Amino acid sequence: MIEFANQTEDSVVEARKARVLKMAKGPSQNRAAWFPLAVLAILLVFPALQFVGNFNYFIHLLLFAASYVAMASGWNILGGFTGYISLGHNVFFAVGGYFAGMIFARYGISTIILAPVAGLIAAILGFALGWITLRVRGPSFIISSLALVMIARILFDNWEFVGGAAGLALPANSLPVEWSKLPYYYAFIAMAAFAVWASYRIKHSKFGLGLRAISKDEIKAESAGIDTRLYKIGAFAVSAFFVGMAGAVWGEYLTYIRPNIFLIILVSVNMVLICLLGGKGTVAGPVLGALLIVAFNEIFVATLGASEINILATGLIMALTLLFFPLGIVGTLAKAGKLPRILNWD
Amino acid sequence: MTDILQVLILGIALGGVYALMGSGLSLVFGVMRIVNLAHPILIIGGAYVAYWAFRLWGADPLATLPLAALILSATGILLYKLVFEKDAKSAKYSEMTVLLTFSVAMIAEGALGSAFTNTQRVTSPDYATDAIFIGDLFIPTGQVYAGAVSLAIIAALALFLKFSRFGYAIRATTQNREAAELMGVNVNFVGVVSFAIGVGLAGAAGSLISFVFSFFPGKHWEWIAVLMSLVVLGGMGSVLGTVVAAFALSVIAAFVGAWIGSTWSTMTFFLALFVILLVRPQGLFGERPELA
Repeated sequence: MIEFANQTEDSVVEARKARVLKMAKGPSQNRAAWFPLAVLAILLVFPALQFVGNFNYFIHLLLFAASYVAMASGWNILGGFTGYISLGHNVFFAVGGYFAGMIFARYGISTIILAPVAGLIAAILGFALGWITLRVRGPSFIISSLALVMIARILFDNWEFVGGAAGLALPANSLPVEWSKLPYYYAFIAMAAFAVWASYRIKHSKFGLGLRAISKDEIKAESAGIDTRLYKIGAFAVSAFFVGMAGAVWGEYLTYIRPNIFLIILVSVNMVLICLLGGKGTVAGPVLGALLIVAFNEIFVATLGASEINILATGLIMALTLLFFPLGIVGTLAKAGKLPRILNWD
Repeated sequence: MTDILQVLILGIALGGVYALMGSGLSLVFGVMRIVNLAHPILIIGGAYVAYWAFRLWGADPLATLPLAALILSATGILLYKLVFEKDAKSAKYSEMTVLLTFSVAMIAEGALGSAFTNTQRVTSPDYATDAIFIGDLFIPTGQVYAGAVSLAIIAALALFLKFSRFGYAIRATTQNREAAELMGVNVNFVGVVSFAIGVGLAGAAGSLISFVFSFFPGKHWEWIAVLMSLVVLGGMGSVLGTVVAAFALSVIAAFVGAWIGSTWSTMTFFLALFVILLVRPQGLFGERPELA
């Protein structure tokens, strides 16, 4: 006791800070940091193949996967690190898409430039919504997020200024067809890389440590001195940022903003499913999950056609994952100690 | 005045149907702590039973109601054995089951959609389009029948829960699972049976809505939020609360539809759900804020 009393208050604070940082940091010794960088490098030079042939389809697939990597990594900050499952994140997808799409339609400013602003708008909305909805947890939170999608759908369907249910057509860019996808391709790759990097940094910060503590036991986290409410709302806002940013460019890429592109349940389900399948709460999980889900979707749509089958398959994958691999691929492998080094991004 | 009375009558007539749709959901949550997001798609499953019976044999949906209830109960038992029995002991059970029932809902939607397409369907027995006129008021016969049958079924359920020995066991399990088990109640069996009853009620509700609303598999998303609003307002697990909430919200929605516009009438349910969850998560009659 005496020893403790002799210490100045500052040194206690210092010591605590050092300890927190030690707990938060400590990246895994086995990780292979070169692998994600190598993947990124390959993705950046991939479009050069357009010189020798037409790879638009593969560019579309990679772009699609990258958009989901960005969104799912964002979702993961709230759903994976913090443990609050939201089925309503496509609301931010829509908000980002409509905000950037409307400005693009009226003033011709590219949505790629607008994306960070759209992300910020989504984050502000996320902050406000989180402030309201994060009072409840568990099933109540999930249900309230579903109600949010329903409310947003009716609002956007009836908002004549943004075109109502029919939506709004946006002009396509004037690049030749083999290059026309590239601006969006690079935008989504950049967003995905940024989202993965950010989720790595968040996971190993004091903020991320707090979020992980909340997901383990919120009451204990609160009594350990974490401002759980602020942390949760912060996580909500950050996750909304990435989803909103992806939404912004998605509208211009499809040359259309319409409620039934953004506000269908399949979009938010995909975000959830990608994280569940890959491993929620891990950095590599959303990337792996997005690749698998986009591939699955492509196979189901190509071989079986109907969108009903796609819904059935999505539900089936989700149920099987929940029942047999609740930790997801990365989580299950890591728990068994069999995670390959190249997938260890934590 | 006549207008107000007219809207009130339409609201009350639908309230009964909503009450039946919500009561199965409430029962299942009360006993099992399962938030069954697949309930609405199972209701649509029941509606398809009524639809095909009507189309193939011209059978009255009211007559095939027991059939729909039975088929759906059997589905319920199967579903329970396949999906929900496994994790009943895990700590985050009720959160897990939300996602599980959600994926079951998608599987069922996809299966129903690819089997029967997403065309709007409706059964049309004679009374569906009839109406009784009293002075200036008209009362749609189909909705009255559906409401009356719903209330009869709910009354039967209430009597069963209140006076039968098994109903006693169900209520005991709802109140306190561990204590009930200590008193010699086979809580697993109670769980299966109440799940089957709950899903059976979805089947019964399905045959009633088959002539009240038009339906297609994709419609269940909207109903998830509608039914959850009833159950949450009533207090999760309280069947009486669900019935009260169903009438209250149905009447409010009818007035919103009449005065503001029909697109906004479903909004009533969604907004109510959102607001209640945040203001009073235990609902009107719920006591334990466990869900919060």
